[in-house]
Amino acid sequence: MAGSQWVVPVSVLAAVLGFMLTMAWITVDTRQQRIRMLPPDQQSRINTPTLNVLDEYQKLASEVAKLREEKTKLENAMASQTNQAKLLNESLQEVKLWAGLTEVEGPGIAVTLRDSTSPSSAGIAGGDLIIHDWDVLRVVNELWNAGAEAIAVNNHRVVAGTSFRCVGTVIMVDNIEVSSPVVIRAIGDPDTLFGGVNIRNGVLAEIRSSDPNMVTVTKFERARLPAYTGSTTFRYLKIPESKP
Amino acid sequence: MILLPLLALLLGFAAAVWFKGFVGPVEPVNAQYFAVGCVAGLDTLCGGVRSGLEGKFYTDVFVTGFLSNVLIAFGMAWLGDQIGVNLFLAAVLVMGGRIFTNLSLIRRLLLAKWQDSRDRQKRAAAETPSP
Repeated sequence: MAGSQWVVPVSVLAAVLGFMLTMAWITVDTRQQRIRMLPPDQQSRINTPTLNVLDEYQKLASEVAKLREEKTKLENAMASQTNQAKLLNESLQEVKLWAGLTEVEGPGIAVTLRDSTSPSSAGIAGGDLIIHDWDVLRVVNELWNAGAEAIAVNNHRVVAGTSFRCVGTVIMVDNIEVSSPVVIRAIGDPDTLFGGVNIRNGVLAEIRSSDPNMVTVTKFERARLPAYTGSTTFRYLKIPESKP
Repeated sequence: MILLPLLALLLGFAAAVWFKGFVGPVEPVNAQYFAVGCVAGLDTLCGGVRSGLEGKFYTDVFVTGFLSNVLIAFGMAWLGDQIGVNLFLAAVLVMGGRIFTNLSLIRRLLLAKWQDSRDRQKRAAAETPSP
């Protein structure tokens, strides 16, 4: 066929191109060789393992807890000197207790929320089968309302400014990652708290309607909740000097 | 007809894999320029197929075009690295754009051919009366 005389030259050069492409192909070996061509600072950036921020965080958090404890001791020591200071210290410890800056223990209940393991069935949206940030938030809210005196989510103390949100698929409580199962422990009258969270049409009832296995509530006689370890430094607020 | 170049391309792959077995890959510095050359080669190849389908194919133009495009792309990438201007971008941009144009033209030409042959078949069927 006269019209197809192009096929042979094109095919020959196609073979050449295929050869060239394969020679230029970036493989595992050549990638390593290319990394060696980079300047040293860029090489180290590629080769350094990912930072483990969580470990660092936990170390710092324990340090904060230690320092707070020391501070309390110092305050106690100072207060033992004079009667006036003793009174002052008493009210200080009271405020610290209220603010969640001390370890506390007492009776209460533990609410465990976990992602459902059963496959998504008809009539239930897949999103209802996992625990969300707002589920945790609503349970905590319900517990406060039922008279909880202290609450901790997965061993992180909930205080007045605690935030519950989600980043991607991870629940964050005060910027600490929390994952299923989420254990929410609250100190207070166990029976009242138990009744409060199990209220008809309440938040737990809603979660249980998706899958009853997602929620367990247990009472305990005594549990220790940790002190709040987040930042307590203020940058903007101050106490007004004059009366309005 | 169009499948033969593709087959040849695969043959080239296989040959290079076999060749790499005892020579080893291209030195990484050259490999980067080489890759830019490959893009140029791909463009020329598409252009060759297109002109072949259009009936305007000249072997000498095609072969010299292939070689010079590959070498120019290689040289530009090298020069760009020497003077600190990313000249390989120019090669990649132009060649990449042309690959798209050529491929779309090839597609149109093939479609037109296919429709032509179908029309002819229909006409032939209409002319021979069915019993």
